[in-house]
Order: sequence, then C-alpha cells, then structure tokens
Amino acid sequence: MVAACLGLSLAGGTARRVMPAAAAVLVPLGLSLLVLHGLFFPEGRTVLAEWGPSRVTAEGLEFAGQRILQLAAVVMALLLFSFSVDVPDLVAALSARGVQGRFAFVLASTLTLLPAIAARAQRIRQAQESRGLVVTRSLVSRAGAFRLQAVPLVLSLIEDAGTRAAALEARGLSSTGPLTSYREVPDSSLQRTARAVLVLLAVAAVVLRLVQAGSGG
Amino acid sequence: MVTGGPQNGAGNTGNDSNAPVPVLAAGIRQFTFHDAHAPALREVAVSFPPGSFTAILGASGSGKSTVGRLLAGWLPPGAHGALSGFLELSGTRLEFDGGPGDPRINPAEWGRHVGFVPQDPATVLSTVRATVAEELAFGLENAGMERAAMVAAVEHTAALLGLRSKLDQDPAHLSGGQLRRLAIGCAMIVGPPVLVMDEPFASLDAAGAAELAALVRDLQDRGTAVVILSQTIDPLLREAGTWVVLSEGTVTASGAPAGLESSPGALPASIRHPVPMHAAARALPQAAGTEPGRPALQLRNVSFGYPEAPARGRRKRKSAQAGEPKHPALVLRDIELAVNPGEIVAVTGRNGAGKSTLLRHFNGLLRPTSGSVAVGGTDIAGAPVGRTAASVGLLFQQPRDQLFERTVLREVSFGLDRLVGPATARNRAAAALRAVGLADAAHDHPAELPASAQRLLALATVLARKPAVLALDEPTVALDGDGLDLLDAAVRSAAAEGAAVVLVTHDLGYARSAAHRSVALDGGRLVPA
Repeated sequence: MVAACLGLSLAGGTARRVMPAAAAVLVPLGLSLLVLHGLFFPEGRTVLAEWGPSRVTAEGLEFAGQRILQLAAVVMALLLFSFSVDVPDLVAALSARGVQGRFAFVLASTLTLLPAIAARAQRIRQAQESRGLVVTRSLVSRAGAFRLQAVPLVLSLIEDAGTRAAALEARGLSSTGPLTSYREVPDSSLQRTARAVLVLLAVAAVVLRLVQAGSGG
Repeated sequence: MVTGGPQNGAGNTGNDSNAPVPVLAAGIRQFTFHDAHAPALREVAVSFPPGSFTAILGASGSGKSTVGRLLAGWLPPGAHGALSGFLELSGTRLEFDGGPGDPRINPAEWGRHVGFVPQDPATVLSTVRATVAEELAFGLENAGMERAAMVAAVEHTAALLGLRSKLDQDPAHLSGGQLRRLAIGCAMIVGPPVLVMDEPFASLDAAGAAELAALVRDLQDRGTAVVILSQTIDPLLREAGTWVVLSEGTVTASGAPAGLESSPGALPASIRHPVPMHAAARALPQAAGTEPGRPALQLRNVSFGYPEAPARGRRKRKSAQAGEPKHPALVLRDIELAVNPGEIVAVTGRNGAGKSTLLRHFNGLLRPTSGSVAVGGTDIAGAPVGRTAASVGLLFQQPRDQLFERTVLREVSFGLDRLVGPATARNRAAAALRAVGLADAAHDHPAELPASAQRLLALATVLARKPAVLALDEPTVALDGDGLDLLDAAVRSAAAEGAAVVLVTHDLGYARSAAHRSVALDGGRLVPA
C-alpha cells in the first residue's frame, strides 16, 4: 500500500512535496510507537534485551512495525490526495454530479484556505517591511514578525469575508436550481475502470478480513 | 426578489404618466448605518428607465458607494442599516420604514436584475476558480446555463473587455486594471437589466477606458440601464442622459450634463476633471539636485521574470509537451533608470505593463533576476527590505494592501519610533496626517475611511518616514479633487526637500503635469515617453 502511494506520487510528480510532509508526520509517531511497544509490550514473550522494567521483545517490535505500516498507509494516501487533487477539477466534478453549489464552494474554499491566508499574510508582511520592519532568517525575528501580522491578518480576513459574501450571494452562489460547469473534467474509460476495480478491491479486502476473523474466532 | 414581508401597492408616484417605467428606482428618505449617529443618506431619489445612462457624481465620502450598494442589493436594508423609503425593481415597490416589519431582499434574486461592480474589484472574485474564464462563468454556472452557450458568452464578454489573452490566467495574478475589467465582465455577463459600476475608470488605462465606453454604448443599445458612480468627470460621462450630484449624503443637483456643467456652483469643486492628454507641463520648480552627482536611485540593467507558479498535474504535463520554454517570460528587460534627488519621474504604461513590478524592486520586495538596484549609491542586494525601507517609501496600488493597523494614528506611527525615536515620531506622524488633511480622523479605523482618505492615509504613512526615494504606485486612483491637490502638494514639497520621486501611472495627462520627465514601460523596456 505504502509502495503503491510512493509509486503514484512519483508518477504524478508530487513526490518532492509528499515525502517531506509524510516524514514530518510519520517519523515522530513511528519513533514513539517503537519506544512504547518495543520496550513495554506486556504480551511480549521472546525477550531480546532487558533494562530494569523495560524489555525489548520480538512481539512488541512486530506489533509496532504493523501499526507504523498501517499509519503510513493512511497518511500517505491522504497526503497523496491533498497534494495531487486539482481543486477546480474537484469542484467541477462535484457539481457535475449534482452536489449543491454552496457545499462544493465550502469544500473548495477549505482546500484553498491555507494558500489564501498565506498570500494575505505575505501582503501584510510586505507592507510592514516596506515601513521598516526588518525580518531576518532567524527564528526569533520571524516569530516577532508573525506576532505583528496575526491581528491585522485575522481582521482583514473577517472584513474580506463580509464583502465577498455579498458578492457571492449576488452572483447566485446559493441558487438551488440545477448547476452547470464551465470546466470540463476529462474522465477516460481507463479512469472509470480503475475506479471500479479499486472499489471492488477495497470491498474484497474488507470481506477477506471479516471471513478471516470469522473463521479465526 | 421578495421573501415575505408586507408589500404596499406598487404605485408610480413621482413619475410622469408618460415617462418610461423605470426598471430600477429608489426614494431614500433616510439611511443610517446601525453603528452611526447621523444618517449616511438623506432625500436621495433616483430612477433608471431601460436603456438609460446615468452618472452619479460626488466626491469621496459623499455617499456614492452607499447608494450604489443599496441599489445593487449588496447592502440589504435591515442587516447593516435602517432605511426609510422605497426601492423599486421592475415595477415591484418595496417600502421600508426601518422597523422589523420591513421586507427582506433576496440578494441572489436582486443580483439577477442588478449587476454591480464594486470599488475594489478584487472582492468580486470567488477565490475558488482557477482561471479568468471560469471566474467569468461563475454566475452563469449558478444560473444553470448550458455549457456551449456559456463558452460563447465568456468569449464574447472577454472580447468586449480586452481580456481574451488572459482567459487561462489565474485571476489572482492579474494587474489592477485587468482586475477591474474582470469585475465588470463578471457583473455584465449574466445580462442584468441594470448595471451599476462604482468608480469603473479607476486604474483603467486609455485602452480600457475606450473599451468601457464602447461597452456602455452597446449595453444601452440592448436596453440595459447603466449607472456609473464617479468622482471624476470622465469624457464618457458627458454622454450620460442624467447627472445626479451627491454631496454629504444628499442630492444637491440633477439634470442634463450640459446644463450642470455650464451652471456655476452646480458641481462641487472636489469633483475631478481629468487632465487632458495634451496638457502642457505645468511649470515645476527645477529639480534641486540635477547637477551631476550621485543619483538617489539607480537601476542598472535590471531584468525580472516571475518564477513559474507550480502548475499542477495535467496542465503542467500538457505545457511541457507543448514545448514551452522553461524560462519564465521576462516582465522587465534591461531596465536602466537613474533618479536624482529632488527629481520627479513618471513611469507610464498600459495595464499589466509591469509598472508595479518595477516599483517593488526599489526596496527589494522583488529582487532582479539580473542587474542591480542601488539606493543612495549602495547596492541593496542582500539587505533586508525593512532596512532599505528607511530610505525608500513605497505607496502600494491598493491602499488596502498597505493599511493593517487599528487606528489612523497607529497606522502612521508604525515603525516610526524605531526609525527616529518616540518624540520625533509623534511629531512626524501628526505632521504627516496634517499634510494629507486627516488630522481630525486620527482615532478612526482605517477600513472605515472613504477610499480617497484611505489612499491619503497610505500616503501619510510613507511621507512620515521622509524617505530619500518616494515610489508611488498609481497615486491618483480613488482620489477626488481635494485629495489630488493634497497629493500634488505633498509630492512637490517632498521633492523640494530633496526626495527622488518615482510615480507610476496609466494617466498620461497627470504624468505630464506632475513630473519633471516621463518614461514609458513598453514590452518590459523603458522608453522615452
């Protein structure tokens, strides 16, 4: 599963952004899992090493390894999605399938929110720098600059939201009638087949686990 | 357009029986914002028949934008303020008395009949559309128009507004003038019977103004009622059927343009007349430091291209296949510019020519791809923007991008005490506010000032620092006549004190009248204007 995600992200050209993000999430989590289960797994029988109350057991390590792999699969799949999804395409596809405009907008603006806030923060920082705020590369200087930007950022976002709401309403965002989409989302038969196969595989995997568990218990 | 609420009879009091029935009309006895003590509007009566062209003229702060937003349904009575009077759309009259029983306006339904272009065009962007074409189509999508018709409408509108070459661009990367065109397109594309535009000429270059004029005539021919709110008497407005003059929230005069222009005192002095293109240069005092010396600002061989935005997925691969060059297109090419202390230089150019990009190099907000920028003889490469800012004051194109504090006084004082110490900072801040006529507004919130005052406040923040280089991006936009005089005086006195001033503007007349010399930015190169 992890390998498949890696392969896909390499093919999609997003590996350079997916990998660091995945590492940032997985490395600390993985280490803590290793320490916790590797050293203090109560059901561990095969002792590999022992320091006082803590023992490294083979079962503990195996359990930790499993958990890390499961987590890695989930994290990689989510990151791959968020880094490779094309927001306008997603919104267009949703509205083509009859999802309400308002809902599609909320979804899209959630995904575009961070870049939008970052752009606004950058504008405020540029204004402040142009008036003599010195921001160097040091962490302290950056933290200080952020403190100065936080209040104007929040205020300007709130103010902006008010005007934009009026504009969006006037342009019929909350219209309840049928919607159409300017953007055409290409959907090849290969994509459709791949989706169907993936859904079948996912169902099969769940059924398999259930059967295993049933026969095991 | 009404959801519930009592409706009084749709009488047509106030209209002659043989006059065409207005598609939109308003009789505002009084409109007061909820947090204000005095009414923002009093006794404003307007009506717009189909195919009419009306100009509502007034200085900044006269209540134009409030009238416009009320007419367009962007300021629904009840939500933000209390209206007593009526609004009438397509023969349906809504009576308001400021009480809880007032009818409610459905903004979406109202917006289908009345298109509105706000003063700040950036606020119409939906922010979730990736290209100009999709942004234009947003309103059509919500109306459920067939895709083929939608594509045709987008093409047609883009052609009318000169946006054809920009259809595949990200709206966030448009220049100020291009954004204005897009906002107009978004409002008119759904074909509303009434189109209200607030200061549409601001930041439009000559080509844009000509396109807008053609557009207005075309809309009128098709029976659209066009309403333009303006503080400048642009030549197009002389074609209007009616002028309504607003001053301090009330109508002081109305009638045919010719009559109003010829009768003395009908128009407030603070309404701007555009400087004619061929205006002779006004006698400016000769620049103080023109003798050969060290220029205050020197650009040597500066070229610049924006790094390519990380295109995603499909489109990126497609463009790679199309064999597009890897290097981004250069916005600036081999720019050579030297400005002496005391000299005022105007940089002109079309919308999107790269004027703002050029200014942002002066203090290092943008760094040249090649070439060098020197301020006071020192290369600024590697110096933090904040340090260069001690000698370079930059006035942004959008005052909203520049203002971030809670009060006017705090805004002007920001960073000043670090520069000159608290005591001098207080004096300088007060002096700068006096110079732009905002001394009385020191404790107001910057966002609540009218557009012209916001602009002047942004100017004050720059002046208070007494920079050696003053860089002004479209300083005339959004200024009314009084504001323009204050700007002129401030720029001259700064130059007289030895500051090098660079102002970029699309307004050739203003450039010629205000500067010692002009250069034009064309195709990324500086050429003599």
